[in-house]
Amino acid sequence: MNEFIEQFLIEARELVDQTTDDLLTLEREPGDRARLDGAFRGFHTLKGAAGIIEFEAMARVLHAAEDGLSAVRAGEQTITAALIGDALSVLDQVVRWLDAIEASGGPPRDADAAADSLIALFSAPTAPAAASAAPELWLDHLKTRHPKAAAAARTALIYTPAESAFFEGEDPLERLRGLPDLLALELIPTGEPRPLDAVDPFACRLAFAALSSAPAEQIAKALGVDQARLTLLTIDGGESGLDATASDILKAQLRMLAAAPAEGLAGRAGSAARTAASVLLEQGRDEAANAVMAAFSARGAAGLVTALKAALEGRSISSAAPDTAPAIAAGGEAAEPAVRSLRVEVERIDALVRLTDELTVLKTGLAHLATLAAGGAAADTLAEPLKARQLELDRLVGDLQHAVLHMRVLPIRQVFQRFPRLMRELGAALGKPVRLIMEGEDTEADKAIVESLFEPLLHVVRNALDHGLEAEDRRLAAGKTAVGLITLRAFRRGDEVMVEVEDDGAGVDVARVQTVALERGLIDAATLSTLSEAEIVDLVFAPGFSTARTVTSLSGRGVGMDAVRAAIERLGGRVSLESRPGQGSTVRFTLPFTIMLTRVMTVEAGGQVFGLPTETVIQTLRLPRQEISVVGAASAFAFRGRTTPLIRLSEALWADGAATSAGDALVVAARAGDQIVGLEVDRLLSQMEVMLKPMEGLLSGMAGVSGATLLGDGRVLVVLDVGALIA
Amino acid sequence: MSVRLGEDGAILLEGPCPIEDAEALLSLLLSHPQARVDWRACESAHTAVVQLLLASARLVDGPPTDDFLARHINPALSRPKPSA
Repeated sequence: MNEFIEQFLIEARELVDQTTDDLLTLEREPGDRARLDGAFRGFHTLKGAAGIIEFEAMARVLHAAEDGLSAVRAGEQTITAALIGDALSVLDQVVRWLDAIEASGGPPRDADAAADSLIALFSAPTAPAAASAAPELWLDHLKTRHPKAAAAARTALIYTPAESAFFEGEDPLERLRGLPDLLALELIPTGEPRPLDAVDPFACRLAFAALSSAPAEQIAKALGVDQARLTLLTIDGGESGLDATASDILKAQLRMLAAAPAEGLAGRAGSAARTAASVLLEQGRDEAANAVMAAFSARGAAGLVTALKAALEGRSISSAAPDTAPAIAAGGEAAEPAVRSLRVEVERIDALVRLTDELTVLKTGLAHLATLAAGGAAADTLAEPLKARQLELDRLVGDLQHAVLHMRVLPIRQVFQRFPRLMRELGAALGKPVRLIMEGEDTEADKAIVESLFEPLLHVVRNALDHGLEAEDRRLAAGKTAVGLITLRAFRRGDEVMVEVEDDGAGVDVARVQTVALERGLIDAATLSTLSEAEIVDLVFAPGFSTARTVTSLSGRGVGMDAVRAAIERLGGRVSLESRPGQGSTVRFTLPFTIMLTRVMTVEAGGQVFGLPTETVIQTLRLPRQEISVVGAASAFAFRGRTTPLIRLSEALWADGAATSAGDALVVAARAGDQIVGLEVDRLLSQMEVMLKPMEGLLSGMAGVSGATLLGDGRVLVVLDVGALIA
Repeated sequence: MSVRLGEDGAILLEGPCPIEDAEALLSLLLSHPQARVDWRACESAHTAVVQLLLASARLVDGPPTDDFLARHINPALSRPKPSA
């Protein structure tokens, strides 16, 4: 078999697995946009692969399935069990073909018949009425959970807020609370299930399915959300037109089919089909009876299940909003899937190749020295060449780190490009026309940073629009243009990347900030009077602060600027706000270019070596014991005229606490946020740059630790998170 | 702050629980993996808070005083979670 086909088989099988997984999840959680997109991409990529090996029949089938999913993505069709079943049948056929290719080395010749019958599955129900007659999975779910409510319901809805909804000041439950005649509500988690420690509390990963006895139009009005995020179904005439016994019998057939082992399935399906058909005939549903038998003879048990569900559902559902705009198009704010692959420029790869060559040369040189040493060469004759090689190695490793880090960078454009559209929507929502200027989109930053930047940036932009820019009349009165200006800017400064959001609004109202800070008890009057103007402005980042005079739909509720600061600090950055009264304000994120290289100072405590991030270290000092005052169980010392807590690092970390030595204490004064703390250590070691790896597995939840790295002698260096140590 | 650790070790949600409580709730859930959650005194809860309760897969003592939460959200939280 040629290499090309081999590669194709490997990739195609992976894609089939992944797509199957997406489809199955989608069946359980029909609101899961990411899975829908994943399945769509899976079919699309498989189709491309089939085209490359010139397997035309397979490409045609995959194209049909892709079209089916694309209709769902566009909102023209809803996800049904039938559709998912059909898509899975396509994948089954693909696997059979892959097996055939693996056996024979090339695409099978007689694939067209199988392809045509599968394509027919997707081409049949194109009329909207037929599509909407198919059962909705989420509706099934609602009806089984709330049978009574289902009987009284006139409207069913599913509402899928954007993942960034909370940042936009939305509280979806609050909206649903106001729904007229709400009968039943189900919460449907969307996206991958995650362990609690990986949950982002500020990302909305819930969809809501509800039943109400109010008509659809009234609900759409009361809910007032983007049409694209809402599907409304009118339920008329109650159930399927079957009496309870009949529908119980049909349901029993479904349960039996679901429980049947694979080998006996065909026989049982046959008897289930006959039972169901006679029940339907007896109920006067001749058409449905025929459909059940036809589906069974055409597609066996799978077809039967679909037909039974359809019969149970009857033609009772019609879509109230068949022409809803595609949710995905409106989802400019929906979180993008993390970029799994990187495009790397050829020059960067070339640089790596060159480095590899140099390392090889160096290796040979070292081997020579090793031979000399083994041959009994004197240490002092070896020292000189060894030192030289070591220096060279030092340089090469530095270059290597540099080269590798530069592969992880992405242009900030990836985040910025989502704003123009968003800005239009936000501006329209607020009735504030706004112009957006973007500068420095080509500025690069670490992939992890670029990917985490969207939400904090969105929040700041929203604030600028909502609180920063004045209303049109006030702008004109102040001699400004009617249209407000917001600038998104990124640039590189040394090892740091700056991202700024600047508006030409009124600037921060310092007096107002003072009033609010006092009202909310964030600060007392005495402390407030000692603060500079810039320090007062900085109070907007305090937890619990919000200056909105009137609560708007955009901000004033929801997440505060403190969340922005927390998000940026998590990335190792800082946030500052500069205000120019009457002329506007600028929020600046100062971010590390890369979050992988960290400068640390190493110290020893309790016989263990620990790293402290250099940016937290203010000073190291030797402190005579008598200058340490003991306050209860705690100790303190005077640092730059302030009483500062002193923590024995070995005790704080439960390391073996050696008895307090009589000599002077070695203290590292470190900063965490605006707090300063003294850490008593046994020894001060050195400074180094390390590639910090986050803790994994069991240790990932450990407090006080920000990561670990390997030391030259093979020991693990644990790098401490000073903020968490004193918390 | 309307989220706190009670004297008996349960995580208590009291009064209105706005989005600002979500982070505090998450850290309590993480630092007290065995703690019960009691939201009987809860008067309103932001979606972010409810979402965390759901994701934590803990059984929640309810119902809360608020009628909407009691009727529509509490059942989902007091239902045994599948395989979680």
